[in-house]
Amino acid sequence: MAVAEEALREAGRPKQKVDFLSGNEMAAVAARQINFHVMGYYPITPSTEIAEFLDAMKAEGEHDIVMIPGDGEHGAAGICYGAATAGARVLNATSANGLMYALEQLPVQSGTRMPMVLNLVTRSISGPLNIHGDHSDLYFAIHTGWIVLLARDPQAVYDMNVLAVKIGEHPKIQLPVIVAYDGFFTSHQKRRVQYFEDPQVVRDFLGERHQEFTSVDPRNPVSIGPYMNEPDFINNKYQLKLAFDEARRVIPEIFAEWGKLTGRHYPILDTYRMEDAEVALFLVNSAAETAKDVADALREEGIKAGVISPNVLRPFPAEEIRRALKNVKALVVGERADTSFGEDGSQLTHEIKSALWDDRENKTLVLSRIYGLGGKEFYPEDARALFELAIETAKTGKVEKPFDYLGVTPGDPEKTPVRVVDPLTKEEVNQGLVEVTKNEETGRLEVKIARPRELTARPKRILSGHGACPGCGIFSGVDTFLKGIEGDVVVLYQTGCAYVTTTGYPYSAHRVSFIHNLFQNGAPTLAGALEAFRERQRRGELPPDDELTFIMITGDGGMDIGMGSALGTALRNHRLIILEYDNQGYMNTGAQLSYSTPYGHRTSTSNVGSVGRGKTFHHKDTAQIMAATRIPYVFTGSEAFPQDLVKKAAKAQYYATHEGTAYGKILISCPLNWRSEERLGTKILEAAVNSCFFPLYEVEQGKTTITYNPEDREKKVPVSEWLKMMGKTRHLLKPEYAEMLEEIQREVDFRWEQLKAKHASPIL
Amino acid sequence: MNATLPVTNEEGFYEIRLESIGGLGANLAGKMLAEAAVLHMGFNGANFASYGSEKKGTPVKSFIRLGPPEIKLRTSAPVERPHLLAIFHEALIRTGDPAGGIYPNSVVVVNTARSLDELAQDLKMTSGTLGVVDALQIAVEEKSRINTVMMGALTRASGFIDPEAVKAVIRSTFERKYPHLVERNLRSFDRGYEELELKTLGDGTGEGKPYHRPAPKWGYLNAPLGGVVADPGNSMLKDLSASREGFVPVFDREKCIDCGQCDFVCPDYCFVWEQGTDKKGRPAQRLVGIDYQYCKGCLKCVEACPVPGALTEARETAELVASRRVPHRFVHAERVIA
Repeated sequence: MAVAEEALREAGRPKQKVDFLSGNEMAAVAARQINFHVMGYYPITPSTEIAEFLDAMKAEGEHDIVMIPGDGEHGAAGICYGAATAGARVLNATSANGLMYALEQLPVQSGTRMPMVLNLVTRSISGPLNIHGDHSDLYFAIHTGWIVLLARDPQAVYDMNVLAVKIGEHPKIQLPVIVAYDGFFTSHQKRRVQYFEDPQVVRDFLGERHQEFTSVDPRNPVSIGPYMNEPDFINNKYQLKLAFDEARRVIPEIFAEWGKLTGRHYPILDTYRMEDAEVALFLVNSAAETAKDVADALREEGIKAGVISPNVLRPFPAEEIRRALKNVKALVVGERADTSFGEDGSQLTHEIKSALWDDRENKTLVLSRIYGLGGKEFYPEDARALFELAIETAKTGKVEKPFDYLGVTPGDPEKTPVRVVDPLTKEEVNQGLVEVTKNEETGRLEVKIARPRELTARPKRILSGHGACPGCGIFSGVDTFLKGIEGDVVVLYQTGCAYVTTTGYPYSAHRVSFIHNLFQNGAPTLAGALEAFRERQRRGELPPDDELTFIMITGDGGMDIGMGSALGTALRNHRLIILEYDNQGYMNTGAQLSYSTPYGHRTSTSNVGSVGRGKTFHHKDTAQIMAATRIPYVFTGSEAFPQDLVKKAAKAQYYATHEGTAYGKILISCPLNWRSEERLGTKILEAAVNSCFFPLYEVEQGKTTITYNPEDREKKVPVSEWLKMMGKTRHLLKPEYAEMLEEIQREVDFRWEQLKAKHASPIL
Repeated sequence: MNATLPVTNEEGFYEIRLESIGGLGANLAGKMLAEAAVLHMGFNGANFASYGSEKKGTPVKSFIRLGPPEIKLRTSAPVERPHLLAIFHEALIRTGDPAGGIYPNSVVVVNTARSLDELAQDLKMTSGTLGVVDALQIAVEEKSRINTVMMGALTRASGFIDPEAVKAVIRSTFERKYPHLVERNLRSFDRGYEELELKTLGDGTGEGKPYHRPAPKWGYLNAPLGGVVADPGNSMLKDLSASREGFVPVFDREKCIDCGQCDFVCPDYCFVWEQGTDKKGRPAQRLVGIDYQYCKGCLKCVEACPVPGALTEARETAELVASRRVPHRFVHAERVIA
């Protein structure tokens, strides 16, 4: 009978398409159907795909969402906030440190009551850096005044994304909403799913966006975000609290409405076999699903086991939890993040205990276990281990160990790391392969370098065994640069391919002292290390004759999100070198556009399709931006002109030792994402230089010198000669792209002529 | 739905694992096979891959889990005990344990030019069904990639996946963006299906092979605090040779002029130099050879070499690499072993 009723109801529902999609794909499908006005985003694994899928759809004209790549998550959050003030439907997606970087903006969004949707594809927060799924980012997000919906599988990702819009925009709520789902486990796993064939069904369900106050209504101007003193501030927060009270009432109604439309019903708290459960697990998202299978197995063994897991985390389902645990003897709260260090029990354990405290009849014994950090798998046997704890506790009526970690490895204390490669000796690093002297008359540096053959005697500071792609240009480019550096170095790598491929724990390919920091902040970090070294040396704590050259290595992505801090470092003129390897995109996260990606180039967020025509704006001229800080030395270089690069490295070291900051940009090839032949890497760089897209020059004490002029050597080629060598630009040579190609040539020529004028004039 | 799964595990699933290196298209193959089974054959299913900081050339696994339509699919754990296993890249057998976790009656398909008996020996496989197909050769001939060849072989080896369903997915995957690839991939699929050679080993009883979950090298009692790597440079212990896709540079000492150009362009620092003398007897750096343990076969050095014949490209063989490798001399691997 129930089946027949369901079938009848089904017949009346709008048609849904069965598909086989991942969580990120479902987030993108929902966004396409909702047709948000604006998406502000910044790529970070594992959430990046959402913007990529939406960009690919947009390239085919499948939606109208304005896709804006921020200069970092903080900037992306700003884009979203601004768009929300203008009354738009707004989407963002991020993970882990992306959320942390944007965190400041989250209470701004909620405190000023601007609805939007943020997909939080949960991942562990650095450091150490880890890209896999846990809930440490989520635990920060739940303190920001946003509604938090959870999606346990790809189907729920679709449903919750639609529901998030409806809930957030509800006149009684007016709040931004996070949809959180597990990085990789849900974001990247394809499952059989359903969504409405006709997007109009979704749009009708949501209705028009209506916002009482906007920033773009000149006939009804309002001041958004005023400075607010006490006694008012507390009332603003109380309004926020009232909105959450309303949300407790409204969310079930909206869930029910969606359930009627889709046949998919979401309770606030998902309870599985809890009616008569004596032992239970509380788990968030995908792990709860794994535990359900184990509960089934335990039931067959005669154990009354159940699983509870929330679909809504903010507001916190305290009442539902009290009800579900009424007769449960023992509960294990499994938490995929420990953000309450020193408190013996992570965030949700305390919230659950606190909920139970309000039911003075409740006798449930609560244990807390941390599991699955950094994406460590949660296998059925892990769920079983947690259940066994609950069973044992229920049996004895005593909590033996209230809090612990599941799945840690002690290791053998007798075993310690052994160096298989000896540190470099002073003699090895000081071979006099380059010599720099200052010409006192001209004030300029004169550089002598050994022949390439002899430069091979320079020991490598990075070693073999790194995991970069075959033909990766980073390592040939960076090593060629380092051939020009004498003596000991301290390197700092910002997050990026060079960092990730050289340091997968417990390995490191760095033979010299190495630091990583996140790419918003590498240059200041290195400046701190440098100044501390000098001060400690001055105080006699470190050997007075130690000479260290401090070098930061960053990708072009790091010089987007880290531009501000790099500029600050340069303006303070610390004695260090910033070396940027430019592969024209965020290659470490899957080839999204960077601001250094040239105009028209194809990336995973500047797709080419029936509508999309590659990147829509010209590449950033980072060298000129850095030159404007008036640091003593700026250069460009390439492995295709190795002696030129080695000389510039030697000069950079001189300036970083004697005067202040040196910055250099080397163009390097990325065969995987340039879609080019691995073996042709050096040749493509040569063509980029000879086309004057990437001129080799230096700005020394403010004076520009072109160090290799292809015109003088009769080597100059049109940009098409360079672009034809890469798959990512091959479309630009088609007749229908003639205008774009012309525009690229025009911009390259303009920048080249400007550079020549600077070269010719001592004051430019 | 007419097809049924030939065998399932305790949870009711038939599980497939594809072992590959990044860049060979195993992910896409997994996705297409799963799509065929779920969207065209009506199974419930899941498909996903191992993720990390994988770059091209590093090991990657793709997983497929299939069940009858009424079954709830809840677990998101990787496939450890596959009923059907594909090894896209033979070198993985040397550097890892790609067949770990197979049942005594699992089906294993390997991309290789070598014989069934040789592979059975390499894999130490004594039970189950082994299949070989020269996917690389077929892909070269058909100007496609090995993944569609492997899909053909796997479809047949599975005994239940409908080839027409997979071909429909291949068509829909390529036709919109890469219409010129449709026919050659369909041909590759067919040839993989046809040219797969299968052999039954043993009687299908026994334990199969155990699966080893990767265990951390250091634990909380002995790992240096804060995640510091206290023995940096230990990447030299790694073997990157499985990153190659069949080609290596070969060095001819007789022709080399020690110009050093190769050393500028090599991303993997494979060139081994020593202090020697030049033609006039003066001290000078001298190129001794290539350390193939790290060479990923990009061949940039062959392009950079100005002397004909000093660095040339060759088809990789185990003998060639073993006989011509010149190891870097500053690595004290024996310290770890001891």
